[in-house]
Amino acid sequence: MNGAAQGASVDWAALSPLLALAGGALVVLMVGLFPGRGVRDRVVPGLALLTLAVTAGLLVWQYDTSTDLLEGALRVDGLTVTLSFVFVVAGMATVVMTWRHLDPVESPGPELYTLLLSSIGGMVVLVAAQDLVTLFLGFELLSIPLYVLCAIQLRRRGSLESGLKYLVVGSVGSATLVYGFALIYGAAGTTGFAGIAEAISGDLSSDVLLLAGLALAIVGFAFKASVAPFHQWTPDVYEGAPTPITAFMATATKAAALGVLLRFLDVALLPAAEAWAPAVAVLAAVTIVVGNVGALGQSSLKRLLAWSGVAQAGYLLAGVVVGTSLGVQATVFYLAVYLLMNMAAFAVIAARERETNLGDSVDALAGLGTSRPWLAWPMTIAMLALAGFPLTAGFIGKFKLIEASVASGYTWVGLMIVIGSMISLAYYLKVIAAMWMREAPAGAAAVAATGPRPALAGASTEAQITAPTRHTRRGTGELTVMAVLFGAATLVVGIVPQPLLDFAAKAGEAFPGLF
Amino acid sequence: MAEVLFFLAAIGVVGGAIGVVVLRNPFYTVLALVVHLLSLAALFLTLNAEFIAAAQVVVYAGAVMVLYVFVVAYVGGGEAAVGSGQASELRVLAVLFAGALFVCLCIATLGSGLQAIGTQGAEVGPGYGTPQQIGDLLLNRFLLPFELASYLLLLAAVGAVVLASRRRGVGEGAEEPGISVAQLLRPRGTGTMAEAVSGLPAAQATGDRDEREAREGGEERDANDAEDRPRVPPGSPERDGS
Repeated sequence: MNGAAQGASVDWAALSPLLALAGGALVVLMVGLFPGRGVRDRVVPGLALLTLAVTAGLLVWQYDTSTDLLEGALRVDGLTVTLSFVFVVAGMATVVMTWRHLDPVESPGPELYTLLLSSIGGMVVLVAAQDLVTLFLGFELLSIPLYVLCAIQLRRRGSLESGLKYLVVGSVGSATLVYGFALIYGAAGTTGFAGIAEAISGDLSSDVLLLAGLALAIVGFAFKASVAPFHQWTPDVYEGAPTPITAFMATATKAAALGVLLRFLDVALLPAAEAWAPAVAVLAAVTIVVGNVGALGQSSLKRLLAWSGVAQAGYLLAGVVVGTSLGVQATVFYLAVYLLMNMAAFAVIAARERETNLGDSVDALAGLGTSRPWLAWPMTIAMLALAGFPLTAGFIGKFKLIEASVASGYTWVGLMIVIGSMISLAYYLKVIAAMWMREAPAGAAAVAATGPRPALAGASTEAQITAPTRHTRRGTGELTVMAVLFGAATLVVGIVPQPLLDFAAKAGEAFPGLF
Repeated sequence: MAEVLFFLAAIGVVGGAIGVVVLRNPFYTVLALVVHLLSLAALFLTLNAEFIAAAQVVVYAGAVMVLYVFVVAYVGGGEAAVGSGQASELRVLAVLFAGALFVCLCIATLGSGLQAIGTQGAEVGPGYGTPQQIGDLLLNRFLLPFELASYLLLLAAVGAVVLASRRRGVGEGAEEPGISVAQLLRPRGTGTMAEAVSGLPAAQATGDRDEREAREGGEERDANDAEDRPRVPPGSPERDGS
């Protein structure tokens, strides 16, 4: 190397969505320092939304890009762009839900949006990474803000517990993942995905070091995607975290974890497919059973959706197992649909949390059909779609997943999806029945916010300060609009699926090695 | 010679790590971590990475561990025994799974890694492991991971501040004005700290903080709260500009 070292060449255009997210996060952090509640309540969420909108615009601009970035650290292609859209939409919905949801006395304002935007940035890095080092950094960039976001309701014990649990379990997952990467690097001698694939296709595919590394790495990802038997944290963390953050974790984190599995297994480790595919198929089947059975007895909606999310992770794994571009398309399509269904459901849950003092219990939805039809219909559609009812997007999504598994000789995984969906009807229909067939319990209309504010959880009693009860009833207008929008989108995609299928096919085209 | 150094350092690494987990006294735990990090530095030496080894000693075993020792000395925390859980069946399961993992890793490493012990290791070119080459790698091949790592550190700091702010109570700090150029340009009598302390005539009390202050009257608040912030008399000028 001579004196005048050249810098790395940077394709700024392809990198721009990521830069917009990172820059927006920092701007939000700085603007949040300005005094006044107006800044905190309106300007900062507005800026966060603007950042996400700009990112979406840049993604549209880079829609047809397919290029390696920064010495092969990242790859911006169909998979990156389509999943980034999923993250951005999930982020926008989360910002809207967070806007009036968290009491300012209970949680800090601007930092929340910085952490949220950074987490989205981490997800984009994660699904774009094609180097083990970048992948791990993206993984941590996703996770560390989420640990804090879970605990951000600093006065609620449940929220703190959720953050701590997620931190401990997530760290175990990260440690497993990085151990697996170390073994894979030891076997393959390189960290780039292309180099690993090349090394494996030689004589490495039965190397014990590589197989041990592969197993550990899959376990690490399984923790993040809440695949059974590494799912135990999911119900507790989902229940304790603030509802908007739960919605974000359920949709965006799941999409990121499945997206990185797609690229990691179907690019770097494709030559070793006969080693991992049966194992992942068994994981998928176990996950479907465990998730659906676990959801049966739940009375908390957030726990129910957490268990249902475990089951859905099993369905989604079917698209990863098959290792075809049809499987990639089915997975990405289902991830997008899953976002629509879950966001509609979580918007209704958040709205009922504000309107009643029953929290996220199923009872909070009782009698909703007559009292609040604009909330009841989206929730009904979301539940039917999650169960895979025809005419909803969930049906098309499951249909594509089953089609992909049958086409590659994994018919039994497709059967598991069908059986899982039948079991799942039991708990999804329970929610629908509560809305349309039960009377609203007396006193449910009492506004939760009139109760005493929770004390600072875990702090010494001297430090507790009786906070002002400035709180008036928080409106739910934006949540109703959001629920109706996402519910309508679920229906529309169910009836006219072709545009979204084409969009997901873009991700499938990103894998040249698949057929 | 290299093999002897490797095994000595490897025993130090594993022993130190076990010590961190097993020892009950936090101070000894930190010392075990120092042993672990120093042994790691020795392992780096056997891999021809002299610069990394030196950085490991200076940064981790030196600077970072001094901070750890300070924190342990300040906080203490020896009285609450860590890890005395009561779920014994879970503990059995944990041992089972850890044993299975251990066997799996043993098969993997003994089956492949240890074969290289007798050899000279990978060929390295001239200049391998020098600061120049490391810098070149960081700014070219690993530019994005390098930048991501620094961004990640910033975020971790933000997250730590968010979580630490609960000590004072979020609601209390939430109404505090932040750092703003606008404060310098404010006309007189519209609410600077100095005015609040010296007690200019009240303009109006509309902010929520002020309502609470008015309700509480001149009641004493706890000492650490008063330390953090100058006392504001009831009905003082509005400070947050809302």
